[in-house]
Amino acid sequence: MSTLSHSGDRDGGLERIYVWELPVRLSHWLIAVSIVVLSVTGYYIGHPFINVPGAARDHFVMGTVRAVHLYAAWIFTAALIVRIYWWFAGNAYARWTDFIPVSARRFRSLWNSMLFYSFIRRDPDDYPGHNALAAGSYAMIFAVYVLLIVTGLVLHASEVPPGSPFHVFGALAPWFFGLPMARLIHHVAMWVVLIFVVVHLHFVLLASLIERVGTFESIFSGYKFFPRKKPR
Amino acid sequence: MSKSRLTEELEHRGISRREFIVFCAAMAAVLGLPEEATPAIAAAVETEEKPILIWLEFQDCAGNTESLLRAGHPTVADLILDSISLSYHETLMAAAGSQAEDVLAKTVREHKGKYIALVEGSIPTGADGGYCTIGGRAALDIAREICGNAAATIAVGTCAAFGGIPAARPNPTGALSVADAVPGVRNLINMSACPANAENITALIVYYMTLKRWPPLDQYRRPMFAYGKTIHDNCERRAHFDAGQYVEAWGDEAHRQGHCLYKMGCKGPATSQNCPVVRWNEGTNWPIGCGHPCVGCAEPNFWDTMSPFYERLPNVAGFNVGSWIDPVGLGLTGLVAAAAALHGVGEIVRHRVGLGPVSEDGSET
Repeated sequence: MSTLSHSGDRDGGLERIYVWELPVRLSHWLIAVSIVVLSVTGYYIGHPFINVPGAARDHFVMGTVRAVHLYAAWIFTAALIVRIYWWFAGNAYARWTDFIPVSARRFRSLWNSMLFYSFIRRDPDDYPGHNALAAGSYAMIFAVYVLLIVTGLVLHASEVPPGSPFHVFGALAPWFFGLPMARLIHHVAMWVVLIFVVVHLHFVLLASLIERVGTFESIFSGYKFFPRKKPR
Repeated sequence: MSKSRLTEELEHRGISRREFIVFCAAMAAVLGLPEEATPAIAAAVETEEKPILIWLEFQDCAGNTESLLRAGHPTVADLILDSISLSYHETLMAAAGSQAEDVLAKTVREHKGKYIALVEGSIPTGADGGYCTIGGRAALDIAREICGNAAATIAVGTCAAFGGIPAARPNPTGALSVADAVPGVRNLINMSACPANAENITALIVYYMTLKRWPPLDQYRRPMFAYGKTIHDNCERRAHFDAGQYVEAWGDEAHRQGHCLYKMGCKGPATSQNCPVVRWNEGTNWPIGCGHPCVGCAEPNFWDTMSPFYERLPNVAGFNVGSWIDPVGLGLTGLVAAAAALHGVGEIVRHRVGLGPVSEDGSET
């Protein structure tokens, strides 16, 4: 798949490793697309910058934007549920043990990655899956996703019709000091996610450029390529 | 059938049968009951034994009493709440001093476990209860006795229901809601809002008289008939919200056209009350109807959680981000992007100047 050349292919050629299984890639892209849709629609809901002229009965701008936001939120939630399920059902690279550093090996990876990204260590972490620093940041951003979903459900509970099962989430409003504060937390969390997106893109492109193991392509194909010589 | 005391009172005050039925129909409407419920309500209100009401006023502005005095159908509502049932209301009753307190003691003694206590105002617990005393007794002490012996307690207004303005930060008097000050009282019902709507209070009593039970409550113990939907859901300006037509400044064209007050900090989407339907002052108008955003007065801790009233997002105490979180977030995202670009340039330079990629066995080259 990859068109990248690697210094390893001079000797024993490249070894193709299946790193990202289908549920991982699918949930990744559903989350990525829904984050873009949710951020754009969410920003409009927070700051309705289009002021619609004419009669109200002829327009449904906010209504449409909110509907899109809601549908995207369900897709986002479903994708995150799939991904968290795959924390327990997936291969070694997808499991929670690769995300939350509990073993000495992962702690070493965390330390090495920090040294590498701050120009102190020359060679990057050579693990086919996430390095421990990246994976740890994904675990934290998953927590922010959960916060976004919960505050979203609390806000949603106030507008569903009577008798809807989503009313139960209204009981969580006091956790967030009422609906206005839940709304503020929802805004802050969005910016945390967008900052994460920038950092994530940066490191993915950087890793692709420097490590040359097909990191960027791997989220489409599932495969990374490593020099065959090296036993893994 | 002999004439009931209510019928006599109605005749005595020159209130026609028609006016009485109009009142009963209005009550059915507030309670969300069909028109056919009107005769049942009329029969119940006419013939049933009236509940004994005791109205306690603690730490508040008497706004709920004012609201009660201006009930939408004052003559009939007065009869039910005031002339017939209200045994003790310190602010309204003619008697004063020990005479008034004797009435209270007598009512509690004679109707123990049967009367309904209506509490207006929060209950201060600071200074050993010294911030609010009546006849030398602390409000907390009175509430324990009166609410503890009542068949039901109705917390009228946001102060009694949730602590209200006296309990807002920094809560200098240690003010508590009835639920927090006197935990475990029987059949506590919160009729929040600042002030509570007299139509809703009357409807609650009429509901009890007609159906012999209390209405279904929401998670804050407020009756669903009055607090089951948000202001936003029943708002007459909702069409402008959905269309995307918003007031941007006081007195602008959109404001004059009656467009949505969302951007002016309206808390209608976060507030549950039937204001848009029942309205105020005999259905004359209500805050949003006259161009002012909802401030969320019916919600717990509204003074702290809903302010600033004219901003969409709250401020965090001592950290003042609130309404400008989004420009700050945008700026931070830009900064991080710039830092990422710099880091990328650093990595590429390191790569190009010959430090080279990782060696094949992973060791330092």
